[in-house]
Amino acid sequence: MLLEVRDLHVEFHTRDGVARAVNGVSYGVDAGETLAVLGESGSGKSVTAQTVMGILDVPPGRITSGEILFEGRDLLKLKEEERRKVRGAEMAMIFQDALSSLNPVLTVGDQLGEMFTVHRGMSRKDARAKAVELMDRVRIPAAKERVRQYPHQFSGGMRQRIMIAMAMALEPKLIIADEPTTALDVTVQAQVMDLLAELQRELHMGLILITHDLGVVADVADRIAVMYAGRIVETAPVHDIYKNPAHPYTRGLLESIPRLDQKGQELYAIKGLPPNLTRIPPGCAFHPRCPMAQDVCATDVPPLYDVTESDAERGSACHFWRECLHG
Amino acid sequence: MAEPILQVTGLVKHYPLTTGILFKKQVGAVKAVDGVDFHLDRGETLGIVGESGCGKSTVAKMLVNLERPTAGEIRYKGEDITRLSGKALKSVRRNIQMVFQDPYTSLNPRMTVGDIIGEAYDIHPEVAPKGDRRARVQQLLDVVGLNPEYINRYPHQFSGGQRQRIGIARGLALRPEIIVADEPVSALDVSVQAQVINLMARLQDEFDLSYIFIAHDLSIVRHISDRVGVMYLGRIVETGRDAEIYDHPTHPYTQALLSAVPVPDPEAREHRERIILAGDVPSPTNIPSGCRFRTRCWKARERCALEVPALAVPAEFRSVSGPAAHDSACHFAEEKQVVPPETDDGAGHGSGPG
Repeated sequence: MLLEVRDLHVEFHTRDGVARAVNGVSYGVDAGETLAVLGESGSGKSVTAQTVMGILDVPPGRITSGEILFEGRDLLKLKEEERRKVRGAEMAMIFQDALSSLNPVLTVGDQLGEMFTVHRGMSRKDARAKAVELMDRVRIPAAKERVRQYPHQFSGGMRQRIMIAMAMALEPKLIIADEPTTALDVTVQAQVMDLLAELQRELHMGLILITHDLGVVADVADRIAVMYAGRIVETAPVHDIYKNPAHPYTRGLLESIPRLDQKGQELYAIKGLPPNLTRIPPGCAFHPRCPMAQDVCATDVPPLYDVTESDAERGSACHFWRECLHG
Repeated sequence: MAEPILQVTGLVKHYPLTTGILFKKQVGAVKAVDGVDFHLDRGETLGIVGESGCGKSTVAKMLVNLERPTAGEIRYKGEDITRLSGKALKSVRRNIQMVFQDPYTSLNPRMTVGDIIGEAYDIHPEVAPKGDRRARVQQLLDVVGLNPEYINRYPHQFSGGQRQRIGIARGLALRPEIIVADEPVSALDVSVQAQVINLMARLQDEFDLSYIFIAHDLSIVRHISDRVGVMYLGRIVETGRDAEIYDHPTHPYTQALLSAVPVPDPEAREHRERIILAGDVPSPTNIPSGCRFRTRCWKARERCALEVPALAVPAEFRSVSGPAAHDSACHFAEEKQVVPPETDDGAGHGSGPG
């Protein structure tokens, strides 16, 4: 396994108390595999990714326990100096908002070139040539001229291509993409996702795709991990989860998508609101909103049950996964 | 058929681009909306879809009179509201209300929920007499599914979905006939989106509302709309009943847009044809000649650069009376099914009352 996160716990100290953002998350990605982490705002999907990447703000954040094994090495035990060598060269991240992730006062060529001058010790001139090559690779037209331009001179889709180019620069083994296309229009989103998938195939990278969009997930993922209130509530290969979810939250999400044959009818809606992370409900965090909840759900935290069927490895953190799966 | 409640013809909004500080000279214009026609019938929902920069929000602002059109007419019950002012304008505004996209910035953080919703009564005191206002606001909170006791709370004490309910309650306060909703659910989480959509559908029946529903999420627009207009670079390029647009699109832009939407079905990804458009949307300061979509269109020919295609039923479909016979602004319109038929039982809905 390329990356393995084991029982990660992260909390934030806020004025309103301790917000438990990540409560025992475990997942893994192989080389060449795409893992989609699906969740709503506040589910802990981005905090987990930031912790893996080593860019979590500490404080207010605090990693209370867990391991992050990257090719067998526990990243949490590395010194910051060593960690920095991993970041960028071995794993890289693509953010949602390309405009605020790029430096507005440096040309894109300088920013792309920096990857090579800092990590590879190249001269500025060679780095510039590399930058042009990268921009060509992510299909930015007229790369030779545009390398001298500033981020604001590019469109949203082009900026996201530059972000991808920057992440790919050192050919890392793992890419974490946090809502990479959420800010983009659908036609541009399709271009960018295609590019990302193609480069992943070419370089045989592991990809963690963080998103709230069930459509994007279905398009590109191999496996899915669904997060709710800082925990993974269901994990499965992409085909199985859409066909037959094993957790009521996943089922609720899938059913709340407008479908053709339900036009004019009421949409299925999960009742209530996602929990406040400073006051996560006891037992199963989803139980106050769950249509299947029983007494045990309010008291016992469900473990991630092994719900593997045939050969597809699956897990569900629901006491009643059997009923959910077959009901 | 009865007269439409809203009739928009030739609506144009150009923002001038000027140079010089003392002696301003116009050097061009951002053609945000460049000739839009549509109508809205009573009790119906018209969905407007399009990508960012296509002008859909500018249309919304003109409908509620937050922007003055450069040209064109907006007829509300036969009366052109773009020429109104003073008292007459005020009374029309009461009947066309707006729900905004961002529930975080569209509510004043220093006002209580009661003041936010009740403010409308200060401007239109004829709707609710002074002593009656608090009860009215509480009633509205109840209608949108919020606890009436929350009347003294501030916006930050609510979640995004609840705030959007407050925005809707504010829109309803004056008992309008038309609600213009500009991306009302796109800032919300998936599980909360469905709640707000259901609320809007319920309110439409309850208060006999007509909706202009603007969004970029095509599946949500389809769910709530009776008719749909697709906008590109300041114009409507295709319009028709929802099944006509979604199942029988004839404009290449609509086809590309529909094919680009990720479908939440992993089985579909192998046998779906995706049309990936080249390049970006051109700048609205420099709109291509002829058909404005031609720079990204795979069908573009010489004629497209010379002639502006009219929004009408294309000639080849004029004689047939099927779902493909709807308005489409393309010289080479042809039918193409881009969204695979979803479920077996969904097939019956495909034909619709076209």
